[in-house]
Amino acid sequence: MTSGIGQNVKRKEDKRFITGKGRYTDDHRNDNQAYAAFVRSPHAHAKVLGIDAEEARGMEGVIDVLDGHQLTGDGIGNLICGWAITSKDGSPMNMGAWSALATDTVRYVGDAVAVVIAETNAQARIAAEAVMVDYEELPVVVHAIDALKDGAPQIHDNAPGNLIYDWELGDEAATDAGLAEAAHVTTLDLTNNRLSPNPMEPRSAVATYDHAEDHYTLYTTSQNPHVARLVLSAFYNVAPEHKLRVIAPDVGGGFGAKIYIYPEEITCLWASMKTNRSVKWTSERGEAFLTDMHGRDHVTHAKMGFDKDGRITGFKIDTIANLGAYMSLFSSSVPTYLYAPLMSGQYDIQNIHCNVRAVYTNTVPVDAYRGAGRPEATYLVERMMETAAREMGMDPAELRRRNFVQEFPHQTPVLMQYDAGDFPKILELAQEAADVAGFEERRREAESRGKLRGIGYSTFIEACGLAPSKAAGSLGAGVGLWESAEVRVNPAGTIEILTGSHSHGQGHETTFAQIVAERFGVPVDSVQIVHGDTDKVQFGMGTYGSRSGPVGMSAVVKAMDKVEEKVRQIAAHTLEASEDDIEISGGQVKVKGTDKAMAWHEVGLAAYVAHNLPDGMEPGLKETAFFDPVNFSFPSGAFICEVEVDPDTGQTQVVRFTSADDFGVIVNPMIVEGQVHGGVTQGIGQALLEQVVYDEQGQLLTGSYMDYTMPRAADVPFFDVQHHETPSPNNPLGVKGCGEAGAIGAPPAVINAITDAIGTNDLAMPATPQAVWRALRAAQKPMAAE
Amino acid sequence: MTKVTMKVNGRKVGADVPDQTLLSEFLRENLRLTGTHVGCDTSQCGACAVHVNGKVVKACTALAVSLEGAEVTTIEGVANGELHPMQVAFNDNHGLQCGFCTPGMIMAGIDMVNRYREEGRELDAAAIRHELEGNICRCTGYHNIVKSIQDAAAKM
Amino acid sequence: MEMSGEHRIAAPRDTVWAALNDPDVLRACIPGCESLEKTSDTTMEAVVRQKIGPVKARFNGAVELLNIDAPKSYTIQGEGKGGVAGFAKGSADVRLAEDAGETVLTYTAQAQIGGKLAQLGNRLVGSTARKLAQQFFVNFHNHLTDEDPPEA
Repeated sequence: MTSGIGQNVKRKEDKRFITGKGRYTDDHRNDNQAYAAFVRSPHAHAKVLGIDAEEARGMEGVIDVLDGHQLTGDGIGNLICGWAITSKDGSPMNMGAWSALATDTVRYVGDAVAVVIAETNAQARIAAEAVMVDYEELPVVVHAIDALKDGAPQIHDNAPGNLIYDWELGDEAATDAGLAEAAHVTTLDLTNNRLSPNPMEPRSAVATYDHAEDHYTLYTTSQNPHVARLVLSAFYNVAPEHKLRVIAPDVGGGFGAKIYIYPEEITCLWASMKTNRSVKWTSERGEAFLTDMHGRDHVTHAKMGFDKDGRITGFKIDTIANLGAYMSLFSSSVPTYLYAPLMSGQYDIQNIHCNVRAVYTNTVPVDAYRGAGRPEATYLVERMMETAAREMGMDPAELRRRNFVQEFPHQTPVLMQYDAGDFPKILELAQEAADVAGFEERRREAESRGKLRGIGYSTFIEACGLAPSKAAGSLGAGVGLWESAEVRVNPAGTIEILTGSHSHGQGHETTFAQIVAERFGVPVDSVQIVHGDTDKVQFGMGTYGSRSGPVGMSAVVKAMDKVEEKVRQIAAHTLEASEDDIEISGGQVKVKGTDKAMAWHEVGLAAYVAHNLPDGMEPGLKETAFFDPVNFSFPSGAFICEVEVDPDTGQTQVVRFTSADDFGVIVNPMIVEGQVHGGVTQGIGQALLEQVVYDEQGQLLTGSYMDYTMPRAADVPFFDVQHHETPSPNNPLGVKGCGEAGAIGAPPAVINAITDAIGTNDLAMPATPQAVWRALRAAQKPMAAE
Repeated sequence: MTKVTMKVNGRKVGADVPDQTLLSEFLRENLRLTGTHVGCDTSQCGACAVHVNGKVVKACTALAVSLEGAEVTTIEGVANGELHPMQVAFNDNHGLQCGFCTPGMIMAGIDMVNRYREEGRELDAAAIRHELEGNICRCTGYHNIVKSIQDAAAKM
Repeated sequence: MEMSGEHRIAAPRDTVWAALNDPDVLRACIPGCESLEKTSDTTMEAVVRQKIGPVKARFNGAVELLNIDAPKSYTIQGEGKGGVAGFAKGSADVRLAEDAGETVLTYTAQAQIGGKLAQLGNRLVGSTARKLAQQFFVNFHNHLTDEDPPEA
């Protein structure tokens, strides 16, 4: 079969995108369309003393100017964080109030205080400039470490000292003992740089209230429209769920930033009711930098101990995580349960202790960005391994090999039970593909051109496929993390798959169709994937955490099981055979070993005409299933990066990048490799280019593509992507998920390569030419002094 | 308001627009050609790239009224019945994921292939990467975009 | 952002001091100043239109004179609100010294911007502020002496 599992099926969805016929949120325009422009705070921390909208109200095209007092007055609820983290002293996390439009205090530059609704976008924006807000400035704190200091400005009254929680995982005493008995201890202080996710499609919302039906429709740029509806309904009191339809049409990338329900969507829905108009808001890129949730931003001190043979004896981590001005939807989970449980990496470590303090600052809220917690953990573990190997004079690959987990299942001391993998194999695969044996010669050749060439490793594991609902619930999650699917076989045999997963670039319309084609032997073109609309799909948890494969596809498989069961019964009845003898292949439903068969569409027709069904069988051929995994999935990978550094300028070029990934069973290698290319490039971006910068007053200095450096085509090489499959035992397809691997594994590989090239471990991300040049000069100081 | 007329995708169009109307807004809002995307506000991302009088232009950098009489081709107009080789190549080589930057990439790709051919220069991978300086993609890591343009160049 | 400078003005110190306290002179000399009115002996209100990088804004500002030691020095402090464009605020310590019947004006100033101004114009603020300061002193010198200032 050419369209089933494991085949490079070209994407079905491409046609509309390559012809300009994609339908993104901003492409929707209603007849009575009005436009929203937000009035945002230019101060990072201030009291709002008053809002003067009189001039704006009188301006051409202005329909209304609305503020936070009206919003809260109408009962719209505060934004919430849906994952409750408990501090180690047993106290609950300190969540400060966050209103969609600030009423009395603004806490970051960009915090919205009012919204102007006007006939045109330009009129709304011009009028927004005329809204005068009287602020009384308050002292500002930007960095997490400063926020914890005595006398730091207090951001939320209910979070004394700006501390949200002080949380730990692992056995501290055992870890201290492990470190005490170590023959060698490596210590690292690392910063994980703050990033802006930057999906290329800016966020957008088109909200329409129908007074006659008392019903809302929201088109929005969401990775999880059902979660959006749930939260908008249950917590923000916009409308009950049956009166609110959320549609996430074509969505131009997410990377985490489009998981959350933002103030703008809430406000547009409410404003459409207030003004009796359809209200549209589309973010400008500058607004996106100011309001899209940021990612990362950790400061960490860590120690890893080794015995004389290089085996890890203990790993102790102390992290401060900057969560920004408010707690975003899943923010609390990112530096805790998506971070500390990954500290065992691919290694058999008996003693791990991780302490995390999360703090408020006067910056954009921080939440999940591609990888979410796992890149931060991996960066720490993999820089630690490379640095320790250098300190101990060992080959970094050999040090890793000595510590690899060899047997599965493997229980780590930090919650996770690894289910399957072959870490030595993927490292070997990567080393061969990267021609590590030939590296020294390449280094010499580069030297002859005046370049410093370095090689760096990253061997990492992810916990993906979020997640077993029971486990997530026991750790504080406010939602279950299963997925749902519905398989509808139509009377003529075509198939519709309704899924709660959401595709915003992942290619579900193709890959989900492939698993149906594989199962029922129908052409991919006769399978339609329906997603992203709460009126069509009953419920779903959406796409993030590399979960569409392991969880979303598994739900489809479960529903297909039920369909197949009924197909067998109908065919057995019609063909007068035993159900056990029915087989489905090549578009035929056959009786094994005979020439008796029904075409696939004949079974569909039989189910719907219902003239000759088994006694008691309901007509129709449509089944629903929910899949809740019993464990995370654990994709793993070995990345090898080679860089060349120009010692005169500090300019770094990634010249070779090899990945060997174990994603379990791969449905479409072409699409999976594309996910790796993109993820690795975001990882290279974090390592070399990207950094959100605030000044001490909390002003965002990287607020456009002039100052925030996105990876461009010339910043990256072609990638060599290798695969090795150890199927996940915990879902029916054996898939593990592939969306985040690149972003998780790449940053340490790049930095390890640069530090290898320049001969010093003292280098922070992003390794800009200036940073590399400085590190190189600092390392060469004794020579310079001659 | 100023009256502007131009030929877009071979069709004569005209409208009264405010003077500050950008070509990108004119295409999206007046003509409802929503394949031209706006991904930034500082003319860096290239999602809005179109062809004006045969050359690639970022539609967010041009005022509509400055293009009186111009011939404009957008992503909706490159196909002419069957797909352009550049469009086919993006599908064949998985040169797109979310699709948002894709129209700009395709318009930039067609332009660079034509330009290099006219100038008799070789459009190798390094040249393609250099030429894509003004087009940002967040999904693909550019790997398959470069391959798509290489592939199309061989077939155009 | 901090900056400092020194300017020699071919006028007696008392004349310079008076001009520095004269709303009409300040209005004429501040680049982009649309209005400037005294609200008390030491406070003024001003409207200034300025462009920093890609951001154009009309600032409504309050100006206050502090640490007055006539006719030798004062601190001039101001804050302008530019609506959606953000804000700019700053202060300058200004000293006047007599030298051969002329006046040597020295200042140290610090400025801060916020909102869209900082987001998009931050890299340009230093050079813009220096340019505006230079423009102010050229205007100021011309106003007092009716001639171009000597080359620095």
